[in-house]
Amino acid sequence: MNDNNLQQLSQDFVYALAAPAGFTHSQTCFAARQSGLYISEDGGSTWQSAYASLNLDSPLSTTCLALSPNYATEADLLAGVPGFIMRSEDAGKSWLAIPLPYASSRSPAVPTALAISADYSKDGILFAGTNEDGVLRSADRGRTWSAWNFGLVDFNILSLAISPSFSKDETLYAGTGSGLFCSRNGGKSWKELNLPAGYVPVLSLAISPDFERDGILLAGTETDGLFISSDRGQSWQRLGEKEIQGVINQIILSPDFPATGEVLVAHENTVLRSSDGGNTWSVLLEAEIAALAAYRTEAGDLSLLVGLVDGSVKRI
Amino acid sequence: MKRRPQKSIPEFKQTPGLLFQPEVHLRMQKGINLIVDAIRPTLGPRPRQVAVEKTPRSKSPELLDNGGLIARRIIDLKDPDENIGAMFIRGALWRLYEKVGDGTASAAVIFQSVYNQGLRYIAAGGNAMLLRRSLEEGMKVILAALDEMVTPVTSKEMLARVALSVCYDEELAKILGDIFDLIGEYGILQIQSGRGRVIEREFIEGSYWSGGLHSKDMIRDIPKQKTQFENAAILLTDLEIEETEQLVPVLRAAMQAQIQSLVIMASKLSDKVLGVLAVNQRPNKMQMVAVKTPGLRLDDQMMALEDLYVLTGGERFFKAAGDTLERVTPESFGQARKIWADMNYMGVVGGKNDPLLRREQIDRLSRGYHLAEEAEIRTKLRDRIGRLYSGAAVLWMGGMTESEINTRKELAQRSADTLRSAIYKGVVTGGGVSLLACQPALREKMGSSPDPDVQAAYRILTAALEAPFRTILANAGYTSGATLSKIEQAGRGYVFDVQTGGIVEASGSGIYDVAAVQKEAAYSAIQGAALALTIDTVIHRKKPPVVVEPD
Repeated sequence: MNDNNLQQLSQDFVYALAAPAGFTHSQTCFAARQSGLYISEDGGSTWQSAYASLNLDSPLSTTCLALSPNYATEADLLAGVPGFIMRSEDAGKSWLAIPLPYASSRSPAVPTALAISADYSKDGILFAGTNEDGVLRSADRGRTWSAWNFGLVDFNILSLAISPSFSKDETLYAGTGSGLFCSRNGGKSWKELNLPAGYVPVLSLAISPDFERDGILLAGTETDGLFISSDRGQSWQRLGEKEIQGVINQIILSPDFPATGEVLVAHENTVLRSSDGGNTWSVLLEAEIAALAAYRTEAGDLSLLVGLVDGSVKRI
Repeated sequence: MKRRPQKSIPEFKQTPGLLFQPEVHLRMQKGINLIVDAIRPTLGPRPRQVAVEKTPRSKSPELLDNGGLIARRIIDLKDPDENIGAMFIRGALWRLYEKVGDGTASAAVIFQSVYNQGLRYIAAGGNAMLLRRSLEEGMKVILAALDEMVTPVTSKEMLARVALSVCYDEELAKILGDIFDLIGEYGILQIQSGRGRVIEREFIEGSYWSGGLHSKDMIRDIPKQKTQFENAAILLTDLEIEETEQLVPVLRAAMQAQIQSLVIMASKLSDKVLGVLAVNQRPNKMQMVAVKTPGLRLDDQMMALEDLYVLTGGERFFKAAGDTLERVTPESFGQARKIWADMNYMGVVGGKNDPLLRREQIDRLSRGYHLAEEAEIRTKLRDRIGRLYSGAAVLWMGGMTESEINTRKELAQRSADTLRSAIYKGVVTGGGVSLLACQPALREKMGSSPDPDVQAAYRILTAALEAPFRTILANAGYTSGATLSKIEQAGRGYVFDVQTGGIVEASGSGIYDVAAVQKEAAYSAIQGAALALTIDTVIHRKKPPVVVEPD
C-alpha cells in the first residue's frame, strides 16, 4: 500500500506510530491503523502493509504496537490485534499470532497498549493492556501471556508506562477507565494511586527517562487535563491549568527530559509543546491528531511523526 | 394483740469470701507472675516451647510458642485468689491476640514489670488511682514515640523478614513474603494441609466463594473436575427452586439476552430441577449449571450476594423478601469474563459491573474492618474486601506428621496475620529496641513534672520498656545488662542481632517488629497493669464458672 492508497482510505484511524532509534538514518517507521499495520522505509512518505506475508482477506485492525528497544539489532516487532498479539522477529516480514486469554470467545480482548522493558533483550518482559482483561504479562518476548490483576479494580486499560529501570525497580503504571494504578512487583499486583481528578479515564502516561532518580510521571486524563508527579505517583500537581482543559491523548517526553524540560502533548486537536517542564505551553500543530511518535533529528532536535484521524501521517 | 413473731433476718452468708489489701495485691501478683512465667520463654527469635498436656482428642502434648494460645490454655488456677490475677492478664493477652495476632509475650513481660513495680510504689504509700492516670499518660508518650519510628513495608524481602520474626522458618517466611507481595493486606489466603513434606503455594485468579455445583452431573471438564464458562451470565438468588416451571421465566429472559453460558445460583434445587438442568446440555445451545448460594447462615448469604452484585451487576432475588423468579428480566443477569465452579467452590473472574461501585464497596468494608474489634467480624470483612480486590492464594503446609503440619499451619496463620498488620501500619526496629528508643521521650517528660506520682509512673514505664529486650536476650542465652549498655552506647539506629550475637545497624539488619503489634502490645500491657493496680477488694462467688474462652 502506498501513500496514494492511503489517501483513498477515508477515516483509516491511526492508533499508534513508532519510529525506532536511528529513524533519521534508516527512515523506517510503523503505523498501526484500523486497516492493519504498515511499514514505511522512506520516513513516512510511502507505506506498505507489514502483514503482506499473511495474505489476509480482510483488514486486521491493529490497535497498538511496540518495538524492541534494540530494534536495530534484533528487529522484534509486536502489534496488538483483537484477541492476539502479533509477533515478528524480522521487522514484519513474517509473523506469529499469539492468542491472548479468551481469544476464542465471542468478545476477545482488544489490546490497547503495549509496554516493553528497557532490558527486553535480557529479560524478554513486556506487558499488554487490554480493554476488558486488565494487564497481561509476558516474560518470554511475547510468546506466552498471562493475566496478573491482583488489586486492579478496573480491567479497562487505556495506557501503560514502564519504568526505564524496570529490571531494578519492577515498576509499571496503568491508566484505566477510572483511575491510575501502579505495580511495584513487575505487574503482578496493583495499587491505586490518588489522582486529584478522582476516578477519571487516564488516556495517556509518560515516564521520565531519568525516572530512577527523579521519579517523574505524567498522566493525561480525558476530562481533567494533565498532571505531573515527582514522587513516583504518590502526589500530583496539575500542569497547564489555563491552556489544557480537556482530553490528553498522548504525552511525549524528550529523551533529554528533565534537563531540557521538553514535553509534547496531543490535546484535543492540537499538539502543544512546553520547554519548561509543563509550566507554559505553545501550539505546535493544529490538526485532528490520532497518534504521535517522537524521533531525534541528526541535529539532535526532537521531531514528530503525527498520525491523523483520516489515516494520513505527517512529519513535523 | 398478738404480736406477729418477728421474722429473723438471716445472716448474710458470705460464702464467696472477701479478700482485702494487702492480700489482694500479693495474691493477684502471684497469679500474674505464674501466667507471665509460662509465656516468657516464647519471646524472641530463639523461643522455647510450652507443652500443654494431651487432651482426649490429641495423643501427644500440644507444643506452643505463642503467648496468646498459652494464656488461653491456662483455664483455672487452684488458688482462687491467685486465679483472679491470672485470669485478668489472660483476658488482656487474649484480646491482644484476637486483635493483632501477635505481641502477647512482649505485652506479658511489660505488664508484669509495670504491675510489680507499681505494687512496690503503692506499698510505699503511693496512690493507685493517681499512678494509673500517670501510667496512661506515659503510655501516650510511648505510642507517639513509636509512631515516629514507623517504616513502611515496601518489598517482598521486607515482608519475608517480618514473617521470619514470627515464624523463624526461612522457607515459610520467603513464601509468605512472595504471597503477600501479591495479594496485599486484604488478600484471601487459605492455609491447608499439604500432601508431602514441603510447602507449596498457588495463586487464584479472580474471586471465589465456598459453595460449588449442585450436582456432579454438572461438571463439564472431567479431568479437572470443574466447569468453566467464558463470557458467562449469572443469576443471583438464595431461592429454593422446587419446580421446573420456575425456571421458565429465567430461560426466557436468558434467551432474550442472548446468553450462551448461564450460572444459576440457588440455595436448594429439587431433584426434578437438577435433572432438567443436567439433561439440557446440547452443543450450540445455551450452557447452564447451578451453584449453591455461598454461606450457611442467612447473613453470610446476603453478604455474598451483595458482593457478587457489586462484581457482576446482577440483580439479587431474596427468599426473605418474597422474590420469585417470575420477576427475572434480560437485565437481571450479572456478567463476568469467566465463571467457574467445582463441587466445593465457585469463582468469578473479570466481573463486568461498574468499577466505581466496586471501589465504593471496598471503601465501606475497609472502614468497618479497621473499626471492628472482634476477630470473626474482621476476618469476614477482610475476606470480602479481598474478593473485591480479586486476590487469593492457597498455601499447602507439608510436614512429617499431622501434629507437625498443624503446628506449621498455626504458625503460618499467625505470620500471615502479622504481615497484614505490617502492610497496613508499617514496621519498627525489632528485638525490643524500638521500645528502648521510647525511653528518652519518657525521661524528658519525667524531668518536666514535679509531681511524684507522675515521676514514679514514668520511672516505672522506663524500666518496663526494657523488659522485652532483657527477656529476648535471656531466652537466647545472653547477659542482658552488658548488652543493654552496649546498645545504649551504640545509639539510635542499632539493634542487637540475637542470631549472630553482635550489634548491627538496624536499617540493614532486617530485624523488624510490626508497628501495630508493638503499639497494641504496649497499650494493652500498660493499660491492663494500670487497671489491675487499682483493684482493692476481691469477692469470690460460691461456684465460679470455669471460663474456657477468655473474654
